Amino acid sequence: MKSLHPLTWWLWSIAIIVTVIRADSAIYSIAVVLGAAILVSKLAGNFPWSKSFWFSLRLGIFILIIRALTGVLIGVPIPGTKIAEVPIVPLPSWMAGIRIGGVITQERLLASLHEGLVITSVIALFGAAGSLTSPHKMLRVLPVMVYEFGVALVIATSSLPQLVASYSRIKRARVLRGDEKPKFKSIALPLLEEALSKSLDLAAAMDARGYGVNRSRSRYRPINWRVADSAIFASGLIWAMTIWMVTT
Amino acid sequence: MIKFSNVSLVYPTSTKTILEGLTFSIQEGEMVLVIGSTGTGKSSLLRLINGLVPHHTGGILAGDVSVDGISTQLVRPGELAHLIGIVGQNPSTGFVTDTVEEELVFGMESLNMPPDVMRKRVEEILDLLALAPLRNRAISTLSGGEQQRLAIGSALVMHPKILVLDEPTSALDPIAAEEVLSIIHRLVHDLSLTVVIAEHRLERVIGFADRIIHIAGDGQAEIDIPENILRKSEIAPPIVHLSRALSLGQVGLNVRDVRRMTEEVRTQGRDKPHSIHKVGPTAISLKGVGISYGSHIALKEVSTTIYEGEIVALMGRNGAGKSSLLQSIVGVKNLDRGQISIFDLDPADLKGKQRRTTVGYIPQEPSDLLYAQSVGQECAQADEDNEVESGTTLQLLKTLVPSISEKTHPRDLSEGQRLALALAVVLSAQPRALILDEPTRGLDYQSKTLLISILKEFAAQPSKSVIIATHDVELVAELADRVIFLSEGEIVADGPTLDILLSSPAFAPQVAKVMAPRRWLTVQDVMNGFEESPEIQ
Repeated sequence: MKSLHPLTWWLWSIAIIVTVIRADSAIYSIAVVLGAAILVSKLAGNFPWSKSFWFSLRLGIFILIIRALTGVLIGVPIPGTKIAEVPIVPLPSWMAGIRIGGVITQERLLASLHEGLVITSVIALFGAAGSLTSPHKMLRVLPVMVYEFGVALVIATSSLPQLVASYSRIKRARVLRGDEKPKFKSIALPLLEEALSKSLDLAAAMDARGYGVNRSRSRYRPINWRVADSAIFASGLIWAMTIWMVTT
Repeated sequence: MIKFSNVSLVYPTSTKTILEGLTFSIQEGEMVLVIGSTGTGKSSLLRLINGLVPHHTGGILAGDVSVDGISTQLVRPGELAHLIGIVGQNPSTGFVTDTVEEELVFGMESLNMPPDVMRKRVEEILDLLALAPLRNRAISTLSGGEQQRLAIGSALVMHPKILVLDEPTSALDPIAAEEVLSIIHRLVHDLSLTVVIAEHRLERVIGFADRIIHIAGDGQAEIDIPENILRKSEIAPPIVHLSRALSLGQVGLNVRDVRRMTEEVRTQGRDKPHSIHKVGPTAISLKGVGISYGSHIALKEVSTTIYEGEIVALMGRNGAGKSSLLQSIVGVKNLDRGQISIFDLDPADLKGKQRRTTVGYIPQEPSDLLYAQSVGQECAQADEDNEVESGTTLQLLKTLVPSISEKTHPRDLSEGQRLALALAVVLSAQPRALILDEPTRGLDYQSKTLLISILKEFAAQPSKSVIIATHDVELVAELADRVIFLSEGEIVADGPTLDILLSSPAFAPQVAKVMAPRRWLTVQDVMNGFEESPEIQ
């Protein structure tokens, strides 16, 4: 299979993100996340960056929980059906208008969850684009102007999977020393040291090989925009326009 | 081509001068070998050549380094990319892209070379380094030897005038190492490439070097032809030790020369006697062990028995299944088939203290075992774990390396010292079996000698066994009683060291090559052959 242009899935994701924000509906957001999950599990290969969707999904759910909790406990109350009541935390008088605790209403909980879901689906869509595109290919279409960013991107995407491998290696060594439940600190320290020295090695290697010396980069294999890329992007665009029209 | 004028180097956080007043020049088409003990600044010297030191590491550089007339202080390392190709100690940390082909073109794309030039060069390099069948493979699926060839390829594809290599063969088996070095040797002769190479295993590279830079460790360094440096140097390959021991008067640097010098010797003396194998009770037994990763079979149907009192070396190509076998013996890898027992216990069930007293394991990276903030704390932790009198581990360590300071952070130790610390921690539990995975990677001769004496002493105690996986034939010749040879997950040879090493030229140690067809493996063997022999005065 000919590989797609590195920007295709990003453009598609951005089109879908527009629809999510425009539609502003919890059910639609959930549907989009499910759709993205199916897409990623079908199309993403077995590469280090393929897991970024599942990472972003976890991050999104974490944000959803935090958003729901703070939304319910802090801020202006929305009147409605009462679910529970928490004692109000007394605040100094100059903080008038802010309230912590109080009556938790169904409306307020739903509104917070709704906002949280929209944020989660936006994050998940970015994750999906990341899962479907090799960051190293992305680096090749990005202008050299973003040199530092490029170095950081390559280091982040190469050292994360290495970190996972090092983690299991160090943990295994601990078990061999008869230490079945090693402390977090005893693994984290060597892990960080290793990650840091590997990142420095990588940055040095990129520098030694002339990355960022020339303002323009040539391409060994031209990265072409093909029919498949247009089709995917068009599908995203048409969907975005449909949603726009329906909601207007 | 490369000119160092009065170069001194000091790193910011260190009080030690790495290099002091170093002046030399390297001509075009020369192959220069850099030798020195670990931690003396070999890597720093190499990285000075393209300016990675001090541009990337910091540090104060006095004097001037110029390459092809360009002073490295004035330009960034990237601007020398077309001139110097550098391959680091561990190529896998330097890969920037996903596939072999993309990796090869990365540097050329950065320098904005036209696509038709790139195409031609890529094909050239793919053929030269026999990488063509791998061109679309993901880098993460390559073996160590293939990765090393790729790293050299992506340096050579830029058509550099200078190639800088930091321990290019340390992770390779003897055959793969030979392959890589002969390619480099050919490039020096065909294209007049200038090569600077740092290597601990001199026996592998000494035949190719035109000159040697010997870094003494106190900042001083000398550069001269190999004969002159090796005549007095402590760091020398076995072949030079052989010339010295036989008082040949001159040092031979390759097998052919020394064979000519020793024709006489080979007709005399007595062969190394067959060691009468003192078989103790069974220590470790493997029955039909099989392990696979997905569709890749790492081990198939391995059965063998290791006895008490034996030192067994596990050899074989990169990816032959050595590490998988060791990890299954210590019980951290689940078996698909078969069973393993170690002193009648199942290694997978071992826990805590019982594990420590049954089997000690030193992984490829000994630092994995260490996590305290200082050598002293590490030893104290080991004392506590093993319920021995406090200070026992530290005392053990001091007998191994007397110069070690308690306050040093384990990370700041040299490769050899770190291995000694890991060994002390493991040995303080008095394990019955000791298992080591590639312990001599990055070790200099001095540390290697120390390791050999530690392991011999350990195995001499009653009912102890040692298993060691290694590519280092010289180590095996000095140390092991028995060799097990793995290939594609199967045992292809198993027998006394003498028989196994002499049966294959690629795995024969240097002394054996010189002395063939006599049955001697090490300098000591040769000397013993003469001491006992009555017909020599």
